[in-house]
Amino acid sequence: MTPGTNHHELFENLRLELRRGSLVLAVLSALREEHYGYTLRKTLADQGMAIDEGTLYPLLRRLESQGLLVSEWREEEKRNKRFYRLSSGGKTILKELLTEWQKINSSLNGIV
Amino acid sequence: MQLLDGYLKAVAKGLPTAQREDIIRELSEDIRAEMNEKQAELGRPLSDTEQREILKRHGNPLLLAARYRQDDRTLTIGRELIGPALFPFYVKVLSFNLGLTFVIIGSIFTALVISGQRVGFGEIVSNALLQLFLQLSVVTLIFSLIQRHMIKAPDQWNLGAPRGLHLDLKIETGTPFGGKNNPCRVSRFESISFVIASAVALVWLKEVQLHPFLIFGPAAYFLKLAPIWSQAIPLIALLTCLEMGRALINFIRPDWTRFRSVAQVITGSASLAVVGLLINTGTWVTLADTADSGAYRRAAEIVNQTFRVGLMFSAAICVVQLVFRISRLLRAERKPASSSSIDVAG
Repeated sequence: MTPGTNHHELFENLRLELRRGSLVLAVLSALREEHYGYTLRKTLADQGMAIDEGTLYPLLRRLESQGLLVSEWREEEKRNKRFYRLSSGGKTILKELLTEWQKINSSLNGIV
Repeated sequence: MQLLDGYLKAVAKGLPTAQREDIIRELSEDIRAEMNEKQAELGRPLSDTEQREILKRHGNPLLLAARYRQDDRTLTIGRELIGPALFPFYVKVLSFNLGLTFVIIGSIFTALVISGQRVGFGEIVSNALLQLFLQLSVVTLIFSLIQRHMIKAPDQWNLGAPRGLHLDLKIETGTPFGGKNNPCRVSRFESISFVIASAVALVWLKEVQLHPFLIFGPAAYFLKLAPIWSQAIPLIALLTCLEMGRALINFIRPDWTRFRSVAQVITGSASLAVVGLLINTGTWVTLADTADSGAYRRAAEIVNQTFRVGLMFSAAICVVQLVFRISRLLRAERKPASSSSIDVAG
């Protein structure tokens, strides 16, 4: 393994780690409006937070099992789709997380 | 929708049973929505190549399914040998192999005990440990190699394979012999694995005649193969060589799917004939020259009964395989050679 490759891999791992925490915030924020998987993925991608479904759907399931999201199967355009939205508990958590994120952001701005 | 269905089936195999249906339903909707959008953009149904591109972007079904599992177990000795995507399959294969091996060892020792022979505890433990070590080493080595291949080439997997778990060394184009509209290819990984496995089987067949211990274990002291095997083993070796040749040809020409189907029907029929020949014989093991015939006759009878059940089971498997292969061949023959484009909106 060359030093260049090592640096690239290290950066990639740290970048993914940094992104992982932000994804939960992005998904919860986007689900203040109801979405099904594909439109949610598109909404996030349009905002520069592209996420593949192999990451998104397991994350949605985890958030739902934690009570932060609710989902229902519904027909739209002659197709059954699973729609997700924030639960009332999810709204509270999102508000707290956003406050926390703003604190971290302003602290980091001061440090960086 | 054959490609999408095949892909979803492959993902389903790796999903937790309780959530399988729900996850597949959702994933199916997502991919269909993506295909619909692409179709609307192009103003025509998607071709196979375009569908393949979309599915390729969704990634290896094995890895996709692994993300849904809450099972992060791995096999790590210094470094990760088998990752979470393969680990459940590793456990399944190892459990099956070990279970089967211990049933065979158990039958032999039971036969010895029933026939009144003295069997030492140490002998049972040493045999069980030897088998455990062999199976563990071989299965771990094979899965480690697959894991390495998956890490080196995460995008190389065979979309055409119905099980979708086959990794491929290259995605081929052009099909002069297999029918140009047949989306299936014979996985090169499958072909080369078959050649290696057959080579090992040939060596084993040769060695087992010289060293009966390889099949009978400690019972080789008083058992030997019946004369029928001197006819059957060369036939089995010949069939194995023919299948190896077929796999080598398919390694070079993965698009020759019809050739594979025809060859497998022929070798499958021949295998059934060999099993039939063996069943008709009625005696598969006899007493070794060194054995005291009075003391070991009962043990030989029990082993012969076990062989009978095993051969009947093998015959049943051969028949099922043959029916499956013939129906696959007939389906391929009947398949119209029309457009391979599909309308995903339906």
